[in-house]
Amino acid sequence: MKALFLAGGYGTRLRPFTFSKPKPLIDFANEPIILHQIKALHAVGVRTIVLAVNYQPSEMRKFAQEVKKELDIEIIFSFETEPLGTGGPLKLAEEHLKGDEPFFVLNSDVICDFPFAEMLEFHKKNKSEGTILATKVENPSRYGVIVHQENGKIERFVEKPQEFVGDRINAGIYILNPSVLDIIPLKWTSLEREIFPKLAKEEKIYCYHLNGFWMDVGKPGDFILGSTLYLKFISSQIKESKKVKIHGGVLIQGEDIQGTVLVPKQGREAVKIGENCRIGPNVIIGKNVRIGNGCRLKNCTIMDNVVIGQSSYIDNSIIGWGSHIGSWTRIQSHCFLGEDVTVRDECNVNGLTVCPHKGVNQNILETTIIL
Amino acid sequence: MKALFLAGGYGTRLRPFTFTKPKPLIDFANEPIILHQIKALHAVGVRTIVLAVNYQPSEMRKFAKEVKKELDIEIKFSLETEPLGTGGPLKLAEEYLKGNEPFFVLNSDVICDFPFADMLEYHKKNKSEGTILATKVEDPSRYGVIVHQENGKIERFVEKPQEFVGDRINAGIYILNPSVLDTIPLRWTSLEREIFPKLAKEEKIYCYHLNGFWMDVGKPGDFILGSTLYLKFISSQIKESKKVKIHGGVLIEGEDIQGAVLVPKEGRKGVQIGENCRIGPNVVIGKNVRIGNGCRLKNCTIMDGVVIGQSSYIENSIIGWGSHIGSWTRIQSHCFLGEDVTVRDECNINSLTVCPHKGVNQNIMKETIML
Repeated sequence: MKALFLAGGYGTRLRPFTFSKPKPLIDFANEPIILHQIKALHAVGVRTIVLAVNYQPSEMRKFAQEVKKELDIEIIFSFETEPLGTGGPLKLAEEHLKGDEPFFVLNSDVICDFPFAEMLEFHKKNKSEGTILATKVENPSRYGVIVHQENGKIERFVEKPQEFVGDRINAGIYILNPSVLDIIPLKWTSLEREIFPKLAKEEKIYCYHLNGFWMDVGKPGDFILGSTLYLKFISSQIKESKKVKIHGGVLIQGEDIQGTVLVPKQGREAVKIGENCRIGPNVIIGKNVRIGNGCRLKNCTIMDNVVIGQSSYIDNSIIGWGSHIGSWTRIQSHCFLGEDVTVRDECNVNGLTVCPHKGVNQNILETTIIL
Repeated sequence: MKALFLAGGYGTRLRPFTFTKPKPLIDFANEPIILHQIKALHAVGVRTIVLAVNYQPSEMRKFAKEVKKELDIEIKFSLETEPLGTGGPLKLAEEYLKGNEPFFVLNSDVICDFPFADMLEYHKKNKSEGTILATKVEDPSRYGVIVHQENGKIERFVEKPQEFVGDRINAGIYILNPSVLDTIPLRWTSLEREIFPKLAKEEKIYCYHLNGFWMDVGKPGDFILGSTLYLKFISSQIKESKKVKIHGGVLIEGEDIQGAVLVPKEGRKGVQIGENCRIGPNVVIGKNVRIGNGCRLKNCTIMDGVVIGQSSYIENSIIGWGSHIGSWTRIQSHCFLGEDVTVRDECNINSLTVCPHKGVNQNIMKETIML
C-alpha cells in the first residue's frame, strides 16, 4: 500500500523552529513529526510514501535515504511548481498512486494514535470510494463539521455551523481509492471543499470515528498542547498495561518527577538533572540536555543539547536546540525559543518568540518577537 | 596581496533578508555586498581573500567558485569553532596572511568608495605597523573616536567621549603588517580594544582619512541609508564627469524618473515600469521587476523578481526577492519585506517586517514583525 503526505508549504506557522529544520523533521516527543506517521503506516504494510512538496531541502533528501535504509520504505518526492491546494497534489502524483489498492493521504501536522488497521478494514467493509478519519471537538462551530449517518456514511459537510449539526470534524487523514484520482483535475483543488462533497452526494464516502487524542501540531502553541495529549496517552496506556510503542524514549519516575516526563531511551542516564528539581508534568527532554539544581519545568519541550542553569522556571514553552538558559530565569506562557538562543541569568520572559542565534538580556513581559 | 574579511556571525541583524541568503550575498545596489568589496580589492592587486566565518553555507562555497572563475581570486574559508572576536580570526588565519606584504582587513558590512590604492601608499610611506581607515561622523559621542596627530599618527582611542576629542571614527577597514599577528593571541581578542591601543602606545599605527560616504549596512534601516549615500555618490561622480564603475547596473533618466534610480545593466529594457509612475529619488531596482501604472517609489530597494500592481506607494522600505505587491498599497517608514511576501491590494503598512513566504492582508500601522 501507499501513502501520500500533503507536506507542501514552508512550515512558516511553526517558526522559529522551521528556520532551523524543515517542519517534518522537527522532533515531536523526541522523534521527527513525520516519523511518527511513517512508523504507524509501516506497521500496516505501507512501503511507498509520496511526499507532495513545493520545495525540497537537502535535509529531506538525506532523511529519505535513512528511512529507506532503516525501514525499507521508499520515499518519493512529488514537486508542485504552482500551488495545487490539497487535491491537485494527488493528481500530480497519480503515477505513483494508481493501482488496485486504496492509498492513505495524510496532512503532515497531524498527531494521534493512528488507527490505520481498523480504518482500512472499515474502508474495505463499506466498499466506499473514500474514508475520512473524523475526530470529536468541543467547539464544532469553528470547523468543517461532518454530517453523517450512524453507520458512518457521510451526507454532507457544513463549514462553521451556527447551530449544532454534529461534533465530528475532518481529522486530516484519508483512505482513498485510486478511482478518486479520475475526478481530481490537475489544478488548484480542495479535497475538503470540492472532491469530498461530490463523493458525499454520490454516497460514496464514509467517516471513521477516532476515539482518543488528536492534534494538528503545526503551530507552537498547539505543539505544546499536542505533546501533553500524547504524553497523557502513553502514560495511560502504560497504567492500563496496554501495549504502546514509545519511539522517542522512555518515561522516567522519581521524587523529582511529577506526572509524565519523557527522556531519550537511555533513561535517567541520558539527561543530567540537578538536585532539588521538580520536573513535570508533561515535559519532554531531548538528547544531551543539562538541567541545573533546583529547576522547575512543566508543560514544556526541551530540545537536544539545551543547557539550563539553576533555579530556573520553565512552563508552557519550547526551548530550541542548543539553547543556553541561565539561572533564576523564568520562562512562561508560550515562549518559543529557536535554535541557539541565550537567556541571561535572572530574565523573566512571557509570550516571547526568539529567532535562532539571538540573546535575551532583559525582562520581556509582553508578547514579543525577537527577530 | 591578501585580504581577510571578518564575516563571522549569522547575519541576524539583517533579517528577514538573511533568512534567504547569507549576508555577504545580499544585493546592495544590485550587487552582492561582498562583491563591492572584492572588486575594489581586485583593482589594487589582491588575489587571495580569507573569509573568517563561523559556519559555511553552501551558497558561499558556490560563490567562491564563481569568483575564482570570473576574477581569478582565491577565496579561502577560515572556520572558527569558538568565538574569537575581531582579533582572534586573524591569528587563526595566520598561515594564509604571513609573508612580506601587509594585508587588508575588512568588516563585512562596510560600504564606501574604497580608497585602497591611496591607503596602501600612505601605509607604506609611514612605514607603520597598521593603518586604520577613519571616517567623519556628526555625533562622535556614540562611537570610538580616534585621537591623532595632524600627520595621522594615532595617539589613543576614546570610547564614547563625553567632551569633544575628535570626529573621526574607525571605519572598519585596516591595513596591517604580518608582524601584527605576533601580538594577537589565539583566543577571543578585540582588535579595536586590545591590539590597536597597544600599537598606538608604541606609535606604530596611523589613520587614513576617508573623504566621502561611508555606511555599515548590516541593519535594514542602515542598508537604505547606505543605498541612498551610494546612489548620491555615483550620481555626483557622473555629473562631474569623473570616472566611476557602477557594477550593479545603470542610472536611468526620464520624465517618470526623479533623482538617482539604479536598474540592471540593460537599462530601461531591464525593468517594466508602467505609465504615469514617478520613480525616485534613491531607488534601486533589481532584475525582472514589474511595476504597474501610476506607482510612486522613493528611497527604496526593490529586489529581483518583484511584481508591483498599480498606483502603489513605496517609500523608505526594502521589498525582498519575488514579492508580490498589490495595487493601491502604501508601504512606508521602514517596511522590510523578505523573500516571496505578498501584500494584498489596498493595504497600508508602516514599519512592518515580514519574514519570507508570508502574506499581508490588512493595514498594519504600528511597528510589527510578521514571523
